[in-house]
Amino acid sequence: MFALVKLIQSLIGALHSEGTPGQLALGIALGSIMGLTPLMNIHNAIVFGAIVLLNVSFAGGMLGWALFVPIGFLLDPLFDWIGHQVLMAESLRGVWTSLYNTPIVPLTNFNNTIVLGSLVFSLLLLVPLFFATRWAVARYRVTVGERVRQSKFYRAVMASKVYTVYKMFQP
Amino acid sequence: MTAPSTARIKIFRWRAVGPLLVLFIILAILWWLFADTIARRETQKVGTQLLGAKVEIQDLHLDLKNGDVTIRGLTIASPHEAFKNLLQADELVAEIDVIPLTEKKLIIDRIAANGLRFGTPRETDGRVAAKSDGKGSGAGIAERVLAETREWASQFQVPILQLATGKLSIDSLDPRRLSTLPAAEALGARADSTQKAWQTAYNELQLGPTLDSAAATLEKLNKARATDLATLNEGRLALERLKRANDRVTALERGVKTGLAGLQSGLAGLDSARRRDYAFARSLLKLPSLDAPEIGTALFAPSAIRPFEKVLYYTQLARRYMPPGLLPRASTGPQRARRAGEDIRFPKEQALPGFLLRSAELSFLLRPTSDQPQRYAGRLSGLTSDPALYGRPMVASASGPQLVAGAMINHLRGVPVDTAGATVGGIPLPSFAVPGLPLRLDPGAGTTELGFNLNGDTIHARFELRSSNVTWARDTGAAGQNLTNTTIGDLIWRTVSGISNLELEARLSGALHSPQLAVRSNLDQAIASRLRAVVGEEVAAAERQVRERVDALVKAKVDPVRAQVNTLQTQANAQIAQQRARVDELQRQLEQRLRELTGIRLPGSPSKR
Repeated sequence: MFALVKLIQSLIGALHSEGTPGQLALGIALGSIMGLTPLMNIHNAIVFGAIVLLNVSFAGGMLGWALFVPIGFLLDPLFDWIGHQVLMAESLRGVWTSLYNTPIVPLTNFNNTIVLGSLVFSLLLLVPLFFATRWAVARYRVTVGERVRQSKFYRAVMASKVYTVYKMFQP
Repeated sequence: MTAPSTARIKIFRWRAVGPLLVLFIILAILWWLFADTIARRETQKVGTQLLGAKVEIQDLHLDLKNGDVTIRGLTIASPHEAFKNLLQADELVAEIDVIPLTEKKLIIDRIAANGLRFGTPRETDGRVAAKSDGKGSGAGIAERVLAETREWASQFQVPILQLATGKLSIDSLDPRRLSTLPAAEALGARADSTQKAWQTAYNELQLGPTLDSAAATLEKLNKARATDLATLNEGRLALERLKRANDRVTALERGVKTGLAGLQSGLAGLDSARRRDYAFARSLLKLPSLDAPEIGTALFAPSAIRPFEKVLYYTQLARRYMPPGLLPRASTGPQRARRAGEDIRFPKEQALPGFLLRSAELSFLLRPTSDQPQRYAGRLSGLTSDPALYGRPMVASASGPQLVAGAMINHLRGVPVDTAGATVGGIPLPSFAVPGLPLRLDPGAGTTELGFNLNGDTIHARFELRSSNVTWARDTGAAGQNLTNTTIGDLIWRTVSGISNLELEARLSGALHSPQLAVRSNLDQAIASRLRAVVGEEVAAAERQVRERVDALVKAKVDPVRAQVNTLQTQANAQIAQQRARVDELQRQLEQRLRELTGIRLPGSPSKR
């Protein structure tokens, strides 16, 4: 329940933050990588660092992560298949062999079918997701955004303590 | 928000650097605090996944600065037995190479293992792979290998000693499944067609005109004189015709003999078919075999196959985890909430293998709970995930009082060769239930020998158990329910309970998927002879009953066919003999008369045959 409340807070907060639709969309797109790929991997530390350090919507990042976690679970069989195809491709064997025997790189778990398959999928999804989200956020703000801002529901959400913490990372 | 596009957007959020650094520092402190715990849990998780049995560690200490890892209180459960450990170790000290860790490669230069104990009891079921069916994409390597070896061993679950303990019945004998009946029908049809063919051939002989003509000529010759040349020539021509007729009779006789031989062979085939039907009907009764070798197999095969199954499990695991060659290879990925996927390894020439244990020194105890525990020492070298990179086979050996053991896993070439051998003496061997019988055998402190060789897909293995301290106990558990409280059960109990000496040998050889198993013991003959004495009469009576039932079913079909063949044979022989006699008689008379008239002895006369 708390997670659901947090998700709603993130969603409302992000949509009505002062960030541009582009900042919010990039945050969601980066967050989707964390959601689609297995979390405990080095590339997600880099993505998390990017969400924190780059001037993108942190809330959007968390929102993207939360939204895409269940999708990641659902698409695991597809990721497994993609990873298997990519890793076992004859033409790429030399690349993988070099990377596998290079210090640090194997710690990324790139040789796991789910990790690589989901990463490839999320990177391919990144650009279309960014543009689609940017368009959707802009449309929201010019259509129903202002009415939501005036509602009691919005004021109740924004008054919570979680929102205060979130404000620390607002763009 | 009102006019964000007009403001200059910063790329970096510099104020977040501080919290991020704090986060990393917290993570570093947590790692420093909990590295040992994390490593211990990961080791347990990976070990459990690899072996298919619980791996438990009481304490693990990482000293990466010096490249030391110390494990205390290691317990590895048996993948096969629920409440037994494969081994326990008081302490393992490993010297690891730190640099390869950056390539996610674990290179252990040396392990010193102290206080190893084998086969100790445990309170909880430590099996993991055994609880899975080993099927489906989610099954790990250990699960799959265990399921495969279990299935492999199940082919040796020979029927337990099935003794007819109730009323014998052959009601289930279905006449349609007897082979004699269709064979008899076929032979009857063949006899019919043969008879028709012979009759046609006999009619085509047309001996009547020839014989009548010869008789008339003979009449003329009897009245003729030596100078009556025309009559003499006529007599010679009649003789020639008779000879040709005789040849035709001979040809017909040859055909009849061949046909009769075929029909007799058919009758013999009916006898064979009936013997097969006897065997088939007997198999429906599930009568016990009273042959000593089969009794040995029925008694001990399920127990004797267990050592082979266990060794095969570890061998097959080694083949999966230590494959030959340098091609990419897949193994089950790490367990997590999400799908594990597969980890693909990419070995490279001149590079380090993913895992390598260069050398291990083992010190272990056998009979740890006795007053005088025996201390042993062992060595192991070359345990690696990529044998082709390491270039040497894995070799293990152990020795001590009354123990010699060794193993070699050679996966350097395309055809892997795995060999193991052990002789253990003076160590109490685990007791086991004799399947199908209300008996439990405790071999006591005996000598066990195991030899195992798996060369590619060809297996040769031998297991031998010798003990002079055997004790027997009545087992009323599930395994012995079949014959509990039965005359046969009591008989076998009386037979073996006085025997304190056991010599058991099991041999396995052939292609791995379907090898031949031979089991022999010194009890086979004793049990077989006692069983034969007691149940032999009952078995003989049941077999008689079986034969009578089969006979009753086939008699109505077989007897007419047999009579038909015999009649046909008699008739054909009689007809041919009769015709030949007439021809021979006329021929003899003609020749005699011609000789009298001419004084010349004609060649080929009947008297010269």
